Amino acid sequence: MKQTFLIKHAVGGRSFIDSSKHDIKYEVSSQGEGWLFTIDVPHSDIVEEILALKDELNVFMFQEYEDKPTLKTWYYVENGSVRYDKEQGRLTIAASSCIEYYPHEYST
Amino acid sequence: MINVFPAAERHSVDLGWLRSRPSFSFGQYYDPNRTGFGVLRVCNDDFVDPGRGFGAHPHSDMEIVSIVLNGKIRHEDNLGNSVVSSFGEVQRMSAGSGVIHTEFNASEDEELRLLQLWFMPKERGVTPSYEASRYDTDKLNNALLPVVSDNASEQVAWIGQNMTIYLSKLEQGKQLPYETAEGRKLYLYVIEGRLNVLGQALSEGDTAQIEQVGALELEAAESVFFMLIDLP
Repeated sequence: MKQTFLIKHAVGGRSFIDSSKHDIKYEVSSQGEGWLFTIDVPHSDIVEEILALKDELNVFMFQEYEDKPTLKTWYYVENGSVRYDKEQGRLTIAASSCIEYYPHEYST
Repeated sequence: MINVFPAAERHSVDLGWLRSRPSFSFGQYYDPNRTGFGVLRVCNDDFVDPGRGFGAHPHSDMEIVSIVLNGKIRHEDNLGNSVVSSFGEVQRMSAGSGVIHTEFNASEDEELRLLQLWFMPKERGVTPSYEASRYDTDKLNNALLPVVSDNASEQVAWIGQNMTIYLSKLEQGKQLPYETAEGRKLYLYVIEGRLNVLGQALSEGDTAQIEQVGALELEAAESVFFMLIDLP
């Protein structure tokens, strides 16, 4: 199974972080009834864009299998939960709910 | 104050199956000076090839309106809605805490043209909802017809923002007065024809952003089909 973590702009889908394209370390942990994403990423223009657009982010986890369809999980980012620690080079995002979906189940 | 944005100066996108004219930054197109107007965040004039469209994707905390100008759109979502709409119909989705949906041209041989509008909601995190409504196209003639509003009715879709979207078809030489409340903004989009407003001549595809104007006259320089949005 291949797992991909993505942070995209909700307005039009521009990709800010894509673990399949960038060598980044990320972790997902439980936080209350939601999740906390911790991403080690050096300070950059991309980080500044993420912070500037913190209310317009889509956070995804894609799970791709060889023998079954891709499962996509989209996370609802909590208001005011996007933070960046410059000293540690660490971005954190809290999500309070998620929706799992199989794209092939929707008609085209 | 009126700022006119001519169609010829607007960004255009051609993905083969989709030809779009975004009024504001969208996707790979980013202009820091064009990221919205008031609560209006996206205004895309989309032309979609038959049978093509946007696959399953999420939205949250956005009021999304699709106004069909030509052809048919099929919307499907994880709330259980599956609806086909054509000219005279409007789809409104309050994405709230999250919704997954698809949008496709429902026709196998006819191009779809729609105005896709995104607005920041009055309240974040609301329960997602979807609505398709139909208006009487005859009532567009020489009148401002509300089609989406927080003051909803049978032929006016509800929206989670303090705003109203009007459509109008005005015959050449006819005028329509409009009065705005203090602090409100007006967004004009000329779909077809030519319109005069506040001493400016707007042609097909032109948009105008109007602020700090109490009353104005909308005059058809030639037969015109336009959209007017009154928003905060």
